[in-house]
Amino acid sequence: MSLYRNLSIRQKQVVWAWGFLALPIVFYCVIRFYPTFNAIVLSFQSWNLLGPREWVGLDNYAKLWDDPVFWKAFRNTFMYLILGTPISLVISFVIAYHLDKTKLLHGTLRALYFLPFLTSTVAMAWVWRWFYQPVPIGLFNNFLASMGIAQIDFLNSTSNALPSILLPAIWAGLGFQIIIFMAGLRAIPTSYYEAARIDGVSTWTILWEITLPLLKPTIVFLVVFSSIGFLRIFDQVFNMTTNNPGGPLDSTKPLVLMIYQTAFSSFDMGYAAAQTVVLFAILLVVSLIQLRVLREKP
Amino acid sequence: MATVSLQNLRKTYGKTEVLHGLSLDVADGEFVVLVGPSGCGKSTTLRMIAGLEDVSGGEVRIGGQVVNHLEPKDRNIAMVFQNYAIYPHMTVRKNIGFGLRRAKMPAADKARRIEEVAAILSMTDYLDRKPAQLSGGQRQRVAIGRAMVRDPAVFLFDEPLSNLDAQLRSQMRLEIKKLHQRMHTTIVFVTHDQVEAMTMADRIVIMKDGHIQQVGTPAEVFHQPANIFVAQFIGAPSMNLLAGQAVAGSITVAGRSLARDAGQTGPITVGIRPDDLRVTDGPSSFEGRVVLLEPLGAETLAYVDIGGQEVVARADGRNPPALGAVVQLHVAPENLHLFDGDGKAVE
Repeated sequence: MSLYRNLSIRQKQVVWAWGFLALPIVFYCVIRFYPTFNAIVLSFQSWNLLGPREWVGLDNYAKLWDDPVFWKAFRNTFMYLILGTPISLVISFVIAYHLDKTKLLHGTLRALYFLPFLTSTVAMAWVWRWFYQPVPIGLFNNFLASMGIAQIDFLNSTSNALPSILLPAIWAGLGFQIIIFMAGLRAIPTSYYEAARIDGVSTWTILWEITLPLLKPTIVFLVVFSSIGFLRIFDQVFNMTTNNPGGPLDSTKPLVLMIYQTAFSSFDMGYAAAQTVVLFAILLVVSLIQLRVLREKP
Repeated sequence: MATVSLQNLRKTYGKTEVLHGLSLDVADGEFVVLVGPSGCGKSTTLRMIAGLEDVSGGEVRIGGQVVNHLEPKDRNIAMVFQNYAIYPHMTVRKNIGFGLRRAKMPAADKARRIEEVAAILSMTDYLDRKPAQLSGGQRQRVAIGRAMVRDPAVFLFDEPLSNLDAQLRSQMRLEIKKLHQRMHTTIVFVTHDQVEAMTMADRIVIMKDGHIQQVGTPAEVFHQPANIFVAQFIGAPSMNLLAGQAVAGSITVAGRSLARDAGQTGPITVGIRPDDLRVTDGPSSFEGRVVLLEPLGAETLAYVDIGGQEVVARADGRNPPALGAVVQLHVAPENLHLFDGDGKAVE
């Protein structure tokens, strides 16, 4: 105890700080960093979950390079990202922008938009899966048929399946993005808009030159956050295509689903680890590029 | 340049009326300060002149024209906000130029106009900086610059100095006053600080609870306050108020009789400004014990208990009375302010 008492105030602060940090550090090392490094090591090995691990060098990566399914999944993943992020951001901004100005039923509307975010993805995926079924089960096709329009093969067509899965994924994320956008909009002082009204600039000028630039930190956050979400898409795809996960013909299969199948259907752990490392690298690079491009210039 | 005229102006939020029929005429080129405690309706009045709040009743005229239903941009006014409302992502040049966006003039003229305004405000060297790189006073100048650049008929200021520290505030006070003397634009300025009102205004409008209490020059509202509220609000430290009895030819206060004809008899409230109540060795009006001293340097404020009522008096800064000492206080009878039972000044 006297050892502690003899420390300077600064040293005592350090001792306390490390005391509080110890638990999260242990947690991060055991639950996060160790598995991460283990996965990287595993990507150079062959392992079927039960037998011994064997070093195979770059074989897993070579296999990946020559695997057409991997490139298909790679392309799909980027389709989810490239379509999902901008569409969801534009929709959520438009909704937030107008909801911010709506006084009537403001709370109710906001709650309605937020509700999907609170709902289990699995339940949501199955409800949408029902919507998409052919006549006489599916809601959408029943509606189309009643209007005399030909049915659409939502989930069974290689060209329609990916957008059909993307739609509920975008919808599910809207609530969160709207709330964040509204918080960002609320943080802009009303006097900025009042000053602009007195100066008489157009609504369009206000939007482009005041609102959007001031929302930049919010936009950066949402772009990065939503991109990571779409790059890791899994639940929607898995649940909406359960009889043939990632189908038809791998047209909806994202990287995460491929990793899951390689690991837990084929039990090819080393190969799955190699895919994981690639996904990790993609996430890292995309996030860093976005942060760099969108970050405020000093 | 323009006059501003408010006729029986009312503002209601739902069932609550916050402005109860305000009438005020501001002359062309006049500097009028609206002053009052929080919630008195001064900012609401200003925002109604600006067109940022709807008029519930009555009329707002600018330059003789009724502007009740005109958009802010069509009223030819400029406003400086409490938080300056300058855009953090734009340079000073862009901020000042923002007011010229709608103006139909060649880009070269706009650039020259921005330079002119910056020169008047000594901000030329800062034109390419962002607001984050400026001090509070400089930001304030940018806000004023943005208002000036359009050359509006009326300037509206909504508590523009309250975010500045004391020293900067008095400096900016002077600068705004100089600016007014130079440009002679009509100014309506809102503040809760009576010192700001006194030092800057041509005329002061004192408001309380959505009513105008008094309109007058700084000297008028200080020397001839219309009621107890104005008397206490203007002047620091606040006016002493004592309960008195008026009889023919004199008033009895704190057991002493003072030679002043109130023109009425019965209970009366007597106001004495601390500046008019001096600690003295000569003929005295009151006697009391010093309970607290506040040395201010040149003078010392003495809190004196006279017959159970505490008053503030001024004493010499070099030879202040001792704490607990019994002192004599003098006030000239003509300097007494008299108020009737309703708090209104007695002529």
